[in-house]
Amino acid sequence: MNEPWMPSRRAALKSMSSGFGYLAFAGLAADAAAKQSGLAGKSGHFPARAKRVIFLCMKGGPSHLDTFDYKPELVRRSGESWRGGPARLLGPVSEFSQHGQSGQWISSLFPKLAKNHADDLCVINSMHTDLPNHPQAFAQLHTGSFQFVRPSLGAWSLYGLGTSNENLPGFITLSPPADFGGSNNYGSAFLPAIYQGAKIGGGQLPAIFTALSGKTEEPGPPMKYIDNPRVSREVQRAQIDLISGLNRHKLKLDRHNPEIEGAIESFELAYRMQDEIPEVLDLASEPESVRKLYGVGEGGPNERFAKQCLLARRLSENGVRFVEITAPTNWDHHNLLKKNLGDSCAMTDGPISALLTDLKRRGMLKDTLVICAGEFGRTPYAQGMGDGRDHNNKGYSIWMAGGGVKGGYAHGSTDDFGYSAVDQAVHIHDLHATILHLLGLDHERLAYNYAGRDFRLTDVYGNVVREVVA
Amino acid sequence: MKMRCFHQIVILLLLLAFRQGESADEVAQVAFFETKIRPVLIENCYECHSVEAEKSKAGLLLDTREGIRAGGDNGPAVVPGDVDESLLYIAITHADSDLEMPPKKDRLPGSVIEDFRQWIEGGAVDPRDGPKGKLTDAPIDYESGRAFWAFRQPEWPTVPTSAQNDGWSRGDIDRFVLNQLEDAGLKPSPNAEPSVLLRRIHFALVGLPPLPEARRRFLDCVKDTSLTAAIESEVDVLLASDQYGERWGRHWLDVARFAESSGKESNFTFPEAWRYRDYVIDAFTEDMPFDQFIAEQLAGDLLPSENDSERARLQIATGFLAVGARSLNEMNRAQFYADTVDEQINVTTQAFMASTVACARCHDHKFDPFLMKDYYAMAGIFGSSSTHIGTVIGPDNVIGGELIHLPKKLGLPVFNAPLTSAKVAELKGQRVATLEKQKTDQALAAKAFKEGKDPSEFFSLQMAIGNIWKVGGIDGKLAKVDQSGQPHVMCMGVTEGTAMVDQPIYDRGDISQPKEDAIPRGFPEVVVMDEAFKVDPESSGRLELAQWLAHPDHPLTARVLANRVWRHLFGVGLVRTMDNFGYNGERPSHPELLDYLALRLVEEHQWSVKSLIREIVLSRAYRQSSDFREESFLKDPENRLLWRMSKRRLEAEAIRDAMLMASGELDLSRPEGSMIARLGDRNAALLAFAKSVPSDLDGTTTRSVYLPVVRDRLPDVLELFDFAETSLVTGHRETTNVPMQSLYFMNSEFVESRAEALAKQLDGLEISAAISTVFERCLSRAPDDIELGMAMRFFESAADSEGPLSVDEKRRRYSQVIFSTAEFRNLD
Repeated sequence: MNEPWMPSRRAALKSMSSGFGYLAFAGLAADAAAKQSGLAGKSGHFPARAKRVIFLCMKGGPSHLDTFDYKPELVRRSGESWRGGPARLLGPVSEFSQHGQSGQWISSLFPKLAKNHADDLCVINSMHTDLPNHPQAFAQLHTGSFQFVRPSLGAWSLYGLGTSNENLPGFITLSPPADFGGSNNYGSAFLPAIYQGAKIGGGQLPAIFTALSGKTEEPGPPMKYIDNPRVSREVQRAQIDLISGLNRHKLKLDRHNPEIEGAIESFELAYRMQDEIPEVLDLASEPESVRKLYGVGEGGPNERFAKQCLLARRLSENGVRFVEITAPTNWDHHNLLKKNLGDSCAMTDGPISALLTDLKRRGMLKDTLVICAGEFGRTPYAQGMGDGRDHNNKGYSIWMAGGGVKGGYAHGSTDDFGYSAVDQAVHIHDLHATILHLLGLDHERLAYNYAGRDFRLTDVYGNVVREVVA
Repeated sequence: MKMRCFHQIVILLLLLAFRQGESADEVAQVAFFETKIRPVLIENCYECHSVEAEKSKAGLLLDTREGIRAGGDNGPAVVPGDVDESLLYIAITHADSDLEMPPKKDRLPGSVIEDFRQWIEGGAVDPRDGPKGKLTDAPIDYESGRAFWAFRQPEWPTVPTSAQNDGWSRGDIDRFVLNQLEDAGLKPSPNAEPSVLLRRIHFALVGLPPLPEARRRFLDCVKDTSLTAAIESEVDVLLASDQYGERWGRHWLDVARFAESSGKESNFTFPEAWRYRDYVIDAFTEDMPFDQFIAEQLAGDLLPSENDSERARLQIATGFLAVGARSLNEMNRAQFYADTVDEQINVTTQAFMASTVACARCHDHKFDPFLMKDYYAMAGIFGSSSTHIGTVIGPDNVIGGELIHLPKKLGLPVFNAPLTSAKVAELKGQRVATLEKQKTDQALAAKAFKEGKDPSEFFSLQMAIGNIWKVGGIDGKLAKVDQSGQPHVMCMGVTEGTAMVDQPIYDRGDISQPKEDAIPRGFPEVVVMDEAFKVDPESSGRLELAQWLAHPDHPLTARVLANRVWRHLFGVGLVRTMDNFGYNGERPSHPELLDYLALRLVEEHQWSVKSLIREIVLSRAYRQSSDFREESFLKDPENRLLWRMSKRRLEAEAIRDAMLMASGELDLSRPEGSMIARLGDRNAALLAFAKSVPSDLDGTTTRSVYLPVVRDRLPDVLELFDFAETSLVTGHRETTNVPMQSLYFMNSEFVESRAEALAKQLDGLEISAAISTVFERCLSRAPDDIELGMAMRFFESAADSEGPLSVDEKRRRYSQVIFSTAEFRNLD
């Protein structure tokens, strides 16, 4: 299948042929532009454990009860009434066992992750969020608020830390959902627009639409305006030289005009991005062994997510501060849990395991925070025809790895049935505070004044979960 | 030698990268701290001496400015200017063997220690924000609120006399400006060049560049009469044009957070929202007095009308209260209504009063004199009204609701297609049949399930979803036509509710926690006016709210409007926080001038926005050149005192319209309705699949104000060039300068098509004439010799691997270059 976010390999035409001192100027100008624009790399409030984030977003609310939260009581009492009502408890549809030296509980649905990375995972089994509706919970996962349009986690991270490669956007999201708030989930709201996520790949369509039409993604190029088939690079270089010449002439007359300086730099950056972005997106340059590790090139249902994971590593490696991937599967398993959850896990297990392995081999895992989370979990009781689970915001699991978190550790717990977080509960605000903490940012001090008020990702809430910090 | 040269360039660039309000020196010192000092502190000290450290050793915190200055148990860590008294310095130099830091490690490198010495001796500039100071002086009760500048009635200020016959001022506006300039030892700038001024005036008043013919006419007029006479006649022509209403109507649409979809979690189109957009544009074109404009938007349905046409217009005006962002998937109806009321309180108080009354929903306002009872007094007003959004119920949309019907005979444009009466009957039949089949299928599935068979053969999730869509779709179609299939003419808006109800205060804003007493419907009590306002028990109170806001004694309404007008002419407001005049907002740079303008607006201009614009544009202050003057810049880098005209970037709409104008393609007619009206009810997430929708959501040559405004899904050009945030009241758009904008100029088909059309206008011209023509059409001036030379070289040398470009191609690529220059999208 032709992947819309995979551009064909472009013939790179580079003609950096514009006169004395140009290269030096361009390099310095880029730094200055970034400084001026607020994108320059900055130090946080205290030493960072993680320098970058890869957020694996599991849209739909994956079941924690069949994956990471082992509840023997639920196994034993499967089929019994839930709290005396008509609903019946549904035992896990998978086998649980302990893995690694840590004895991390992981179900048979994630065999590779269990075998290779049990001791890398820091599982939080006591997550909770405010609402059991997808769009609200999804928005809260991404922005902290389900009521108002607020800057996203990625935007706050970029605002706090800047970028380390000005030739690429500092925050990239791969094929995010077109619904559930759409661009709000990677938007900058009232933060300056430079902090918003750049979308690569068409948006993923609402699950209902996919179910009916079979279409999964919006049509269109992977990234708009990143190339121009109607003009050669030589001519474009000549155009940019003339633009810069005219801009510099005007700047000389104006003497001081930050807007024009910014424009000069922005064209040079844009010109370089045209090369760099397609290069990073081009997975063909990866060695066969790496492609194989992820499962790229094998075709089949795993192919798309495998490519996204590999791409995430490439983007991180090239200095992108925050990368988000939305797994191209819907975790909203109201029925046929065993089959459908099995499919979703099978699609993601290998590529995620490969991503962690690859990051580790490159020495990147120690300062790359990998977060795997959905918007909520699912109920211990069955729903509908008795073979699915409903939404549950009161208790669920997420995991993190690398980037200064404690590997082989499971934090907090739900009650005996996995219904609600009872011990060391972690609210989504706490998770956000913790993520910022790992990035060296104090969630109480990372504030932005808008319309006369200081806003924070965590609003007036949030406590850093110190136990998960290595 | 070379390295040194590079360093100088770096410093130069850093110096150029001024942040507003900072001197070059500060910028350099902050940069020094950020590059040399902070990283060292983080790396070596924070582990034990920061808020994040488990406990701070010796009570010392080095991660805030306050902490480092206050020091710990042994005294201040840093004393600016004095290394010998700075314990931090003593510790890192290992000068005192009892105090060697960092502990159990080698001494820091000499260069680092030298950096610290330099930093401390240079005053230890430290930009880190520490804990906020106490805000005890915020006017949070009525009494102190009434003493706060924004809640005091404006008073006619004394026009400064020292500047009466100064030879510069043309009117009182100038006298106020000059007076403050003189106090600060500054001088105003001379007049801008006439053609610069003409371009400024055209963009300001109509959002379009002057074409060469207009420029020639203007320059001739300046020559034949005077600059003042030429400006006056130009301004009058522009203010009388339809393009003025399109330009200034769009400014209001920013404030009114206008959009054509619900936004938020499940984003559905508002196919009738455009009627409000056109209403706003017409109101500005006709120069509707602003007090009337307020009344129509808040309570048009309650105003008297002479005929059906006026009735319809007044009803459409109330779209102001309806077009905000809404959570259509909110399952709790009561919550949805409470959130709608909250949004209406917010937009009304921010738009007209620049006040954040909505902050008092859950608690008394923390900074301004708005109490919860003020909020719930207003909530009763909107809660007694009915808001018509009219989306189609379906997946992710549980709200739906009816639109307001307008008389058919008026001949207003309608986009919902008529149906034959047979089709209406057929749809009704389908609806019944679908629901009945579903019943049968479900019964079969249940039976199969009991028998241990797979029920999904008879009834599956997919089928259920399909049915919801089908029935929702049918209902949507039927709601748009009458029994005979003739389309209804409908609009969004507000009408009176079924019951007029005062609301109680809800504890922490939680609608399940009402407190006992209902608060009578009314208005924020901090505002005191001679006339008492009471809500008629038989009505919602929206009309009284409008009258209250538009009362000549209201301290905020006229000031807020005058400030908005000023901002669109000068680039920044006299109060820069356009939508917040409260304690956390900024104080006015020219308080007397602001009061003067507010009072002129009400008393002299009778709320005519055009008259106020005219008065300001004809001032001497507005004519000033934007040229840089170093001495003034060092004293007032942000130009708060208006020693020159501020330079600024054009808005997205003006950039796009200017390309179309220059290329000769701009279609000045108003398109009927909007793309969204023609698409009808849609999930915005699926817009990309609509065949009629171009991928950049544009594809037209009419003015940008008519482009579709779908929340989270803006046309590319609007998205890239800092369009207003469509869910928030936006009195001031930020501008950014990002590479994606450059990529748009380099690679978008829209820009290339405009360049192609512009190039066609150059047929038969010599190269130098072609170069000049493009300059004149795009930049309203001729190129100078240097520019001409650069462009000539481009024409001589532009080539690719297949050889030199054709003449046509060179003209196209050159035209694209001029669109891409900074000057094209900036104003002097």
